[in-house]
Formats: sequence, C-alpha cells, structure tokens
Amino acid sequence: MTRRKFIQKLIGAGLTIVAGASWCLKKAAPRKFIIAIKFKKYPGQLKPLGDISKQSKWSG
Amino acid sequence: MKVQCELCPKLCLIQPGQSGECRVRINIDGVLRTVVYGYPCSIHIDPVEKKPLFHFLPGSKILSIATVGCNLHCKNCQNWEISQANPEEGNIPAYNCPPEKLVAETNKYQCPSIAYTYTDPIVYYEYTYDSAKLAHEAGIRNVLVTAGYINEEPWKKLLQYVDAANIDLKAITEDFYREVCSATLKPVQNALILAKASEVLIEVTNLVIPTLNDEPEQLRELSRWIKMNLGADTPLHFSGFYPRYQMRNLPATSLRTLEKARKIAMDEGLNYVYIGNVASKEGQNTYCPGCKKLLIERSGYTILKNRLRFGRCPDCNKEIYGVWR
Repeated sequence: MTRRKFIQKLIGAGLTIVAGASWCLKKAAPRKFIIAIKFKKYPGQLKPLGDISKQSKWSG
Repeated sequence: MKVQCELCPKLCLIQPGQSGECRVRINIDGVLRTVVYGYPCSIHIDPVEKKPLFHFLPGSKILSIATVGCNLHCKNCQNWEISQANPEEGNIPAYNCPPEKLVAETNKYQCPSIAYTYTDPIVYYEYTYDSAKLAHEAGIRNVLVTAGYINEEPWKKLLQYVDAANIDLKAITEDFYREVCSATLKPVQNALILAKASEVLIEVTNLVIPTLNDEPEQLRELSRWIKMNLGADTPLHFSGFYPRYQMRNLPATSLRTLEKARKIAMDEGLNYVYIGNVASKEGQNTYCPGCKKLLIERSGYTILKNRLRFGRCPDCNKEIYGVWR
C-alpha cells in the first residue's frame, strides 16, 4: 500500500468514526418535546355552552 | 411523513392521517395536531372534594373540564364513555371554549380554581397548558386530576402553573399497569416525584380493585413508596371500585377492604389516609397527626366542620399539610 492510499484509508476511517459518534450522541440526547398545533376545526359535533353549575356525573 | 408524539412515554409514531393511542393527537400532513384544543366535552362546577382533594381549599367550588381521549386504556375506567371516545365519531359533542372563555366562565361563577379532570389533562396538554397559564395570570388556581403518564419535559413545563394535583397511583406493580392500564409504572412514579419537587400540592388516589391490587403486601408497599418518596404528609385516597367498562366480572370493593387498606397505610406512617366512593365516617375526616383530634369532618362532598386555624390544629398548633386559603 502506498503512503497516499494509507492516508486516504486513515481519513476515511476517521470520518466514519466521527459520523458514528455524532449519530450516537444525537440519539442519546434528550428528546425535545414539540407541542401539537391546534387543529382549525373540531371533527365532531359542537353544542352551545349552557348552565354549567350542575355537578358532573363523571368521576373525578 | 410519520410524526412522533413525545408527550407521553408511549412515544406514538403516527402515520399521516392517523392518531396516537389517545385518539386526539393526529398527524396531518406531517404536523402533529391536537383536535381537542378549546373543545371540552364536559364543563361542570364540582365541589373540590369530588376530585378528590381534601387538603386544597376545602369546601370550595371548582370549575372542572375534560376533553375526550386518554393515553391509558384502563379496563376498569369509570369514565370510559368520554375517555375512550374518538372525537371523529361524533358521539360525544363538545363545547367551543378556548382558554380565554374558560377563564371568563371561572370568574363568572366565582370559582377560585379550575380542574383539568375526568379524562386525562395530559392528552389535551396544549389546551391545559394555555388555560392554566392564563388562569394563573388571572389569579385562578389550577388543579390536575391525572394518571401522571407523561414525559419529563412537558410535565415540568406544565407544573409551573399547577397549584395542586391528584395523581393516580393505580398499583405498585408493573404487571398491573401493563395488564390493566396498557401503561407502565415507572413514568408515573417519576411524575409524582417531579410534582412533589415542584412544590405542587399532591394527593394520591389508589383505586382498590378486588383480587387485582388489594393484597395487604401490595398496599403496604404502595404506602411505603409514598412515604419514602413523597413524604408522610401526602394524603392518600383509597377509592372503591365499581364494575364498569371491560371489568364487569369483579365485585365492587367492600368497605371492609378499604378500611383494611387505610389501616395498613396508617400503620406504615402515612398521616392522612382517606376512603372514597364508599360511605365511611372516619375515612372521610381529617385528623391531626399530632394530637389525633378531629380537624375536618366531611359527609360525602360536604364539609360539616372545619376546625383548622390558619392551616394549624387548634388544639396542638401542628401545621397541617395543605393549601387552606
């Protein structure tokens, strides 16, 4: 192997290690939470807001 | 393009046009959308004791809301008609109530606080967050009633506007969470610890289900965990199960079982242990952990007597854990 080829292989291996390490670091970093965007229209039925003073039938 | 929802530990990878497990967070053209923002299916004014919160503004009214959807699928869910509903099916109509209107309604009915409850405020996270922030700025307190199945970053962000929370600790085993709730225990424990560290008033609810989580050793371990990680003053509510949804094969929890659970937790050193969903005289009252005298007497959601003086026992002057005014 010539010196030039050896240096090319060395650089190639080095780049692969750097790329692999940065991929690992990216995966290991905490996930950044992204909020959901409000959808423009409710997909179900809507009803008018009436008297809300009555206690709920739901638990909680 | 697929979208990953990073709100809860399920980390749903959502295909275009599909929703996550909660049914309300949808991938539309590669963007994560919440379809329930500003559209609660339920708005009521409840007594705060119904949440249940026994150490937070006793006797006060609380404006309580929920949208459809839940990230858990508990086989015993008491509110499954709304928690397991799909907004697109249209069975459950909703109100148009953006955060500004919610705060206005709270003021109109002179409620000191808002509860994000009934289903799970985690799945309508953005609506909860914006409403809680606005309410906080308007001097209104915020309460979460939740299963606590959420990732750390969104949880911390939300907690800065939360004054109190009742968080379910459904059992102390991974098996129970996996088999009954389609979830896991560890994130719930983390959420409890984080809420405590954020100085949010916490009360814990454990729904006692015959044969599934009512073994004395499990109840002891659960009580120990609460004492060790959240403190002996953390109120614990043992709540009675009723056959509902996909769990109609089991009997309702007896008062005797709940009383046993209460005794176990008190023997383990928890100071405030309550019984819910079943009529119980002693199990609904608050007693001073110092001198053992009656402090707050309750019947159902009604306060019959409140002897607290500025958050302290009138007899021995012990400070009682809670937000009292």
